[in-house]
Amino acid sequence: METYFTTSEKVQHIIKSFNLTKTLFVSSIIIGEENTGKKSLARYLFPDAPLVSGEKQEEVMQALENYDELIITNFEKLSNQNNFDFSNKRIIATANYIGNSNIIDDLFGFIYSMPSLAERPDDVTYLKNLFVKEALSTLLIDDQDINLDGIPINLSKNSKSLKKDIYAHLLKFSMNQNEIEEVLYQYLLKHLDGNDGYREYLGIYERPLIEAGLKKFGSQLQLSQILGINRNTLRKKIYEHNID
Amino acid sequence: MNTTSIDFESFVEWDNNPFILFSNNGKIIYLNNAAEILFGYVSKKELYDIAVSYAPQNFGYKTTTLTLSYDSFIFHAITVGYKNEEQISLRLYNTPRIKPVRKVETNTFSTTDINILLEANIALFKTTNTNTLKLLTDQDLPSFKIDQNNFSKLLRKTLNAFRASDSIDITLKLLIGQHVIIEDKREPIVQLSISANGRYSEADTEIEILASQCQIKPLLKEHAIKLEIPLIK
Repeated sequence: METYFTTSEKVQHIIKSFNLTKTLFVSSIIIGEENTGKKSLARYLFPDAPLVSGEKQEEVMQALENYDELIITNFEKLSNQNNFDFSNKRIIATANYIGNSNIIDDLFGFIYSMPSLAERPDDVTYLKNLFVKEALSTLLIDDQDINLDGIPINLSKNSKSLKKDIYAHLLKFSMNQNEIEEVLYQYLLKHLDGNDGYREYLGIYERPLIEAGLKKFGSQLQLSQILGINRNTLRKKIYEHNID
Repeated sequence: MNTTSIDFESFVEWDNNPFILFSNNGKIIYLNNAAEILFGYVSKKELYDIAVSYAPQNFGYKTTTLTLSYDSFIFHAITVGYKNEEQISLRLYNTPRIKPVRKVETNTFSTTDINILLEANIALFKTTNTNTLKLLTDQDLPSFKIDQNNFSKLLRKTLNAFRASDSIDITLKLLIGQHVIIEDKREPIVQLSISANGRYSEADTEIEILASQCQIKPLLKEHAIKLEIPLIK
């Protein structure tokens, strides 16, 4: 059985309300931003209910004829909402936003609003740990090698942006020189253009080189020795690339 | 015809119109069943004052046409009478209720434990509100037939009217002795009462419409909403 993790009081009230009405013929809708776990919640609560997406209107109509219990995702995509009759059915819908509030109000007994991840800090921590573990395993990274505190938390698109940024961040620790060169190759292949390309794209190598060096060795004098270039040349480069 | 041997009291007792006999200092000497129910909605003093105000000038009986309404009880006339200085009687005449013309569509009604629906709606309310709620309910209420989805909508809107209230009292109880006739059957009434220090009233019309679809009688007051729900078996 799937589990659904949350410490958010709001979501727990939603779960409680759903559990109470599980056997009743009421229609409910969960409305909230994308990737906040609406569909997972519906699946978790009604593991055996058929699921159709509002993106496929025909399928929804067909399913409504065939089943008394049904999960409809992306309900906002349906253009014929006012033709529905949900009486004596158990409908669980999810939507990213309220299209026509009068229709929603009219169709659904229970209207829940799913809080975004930004409103659920504990859930973010849980998801972050989950995604990090998954990413480390997928990308074959030994977690001893990296500092997990520096992992970014991007909630602009809730769990999706959180996951993407965690993968993007951890990917940096998994690459060897060949792969980095391959990344640069692909990037340049796509972008190289104009009449000042050499100077323009040299920064891609020089900037991380100087930034990492300064971070690692502290002084410009020491870095110039490590890099084997003149101190004045280094200073000129720092100025050119606008490095603090 | 000799009528003195007939016991008239039981006829009065079971008359659907409330009948009360007061003493000259306003104490109740006798009241019939209908009056007993009425006293759940109006004070003894108020009815005594009415009796005194509308009493005939001399011994005898006087009927006055007027409109009195206490909660869901509406009366269109009263008779006040006295034969001596010690007792005064008040009889109130029920205004006939208009029978619903719409046939009850009980095919969309399914047997439901109302406490579960109420609790689920309270949980829903709590997802967006932090008001203090006091719930007093009768867990022994039998399951009865209700349109679950429409009733949920009604509960949602009703509770929502109290979204800004400080402390909300919710009471669910069986109204003892009261009935409603639905499709020629006498059904007991369950009353859901929600009250607070104030409420919004913008959804009152919708509440009335939804209630009528569920065969529920709504009483919309300034500080409270009461729903009289027929206990259809």
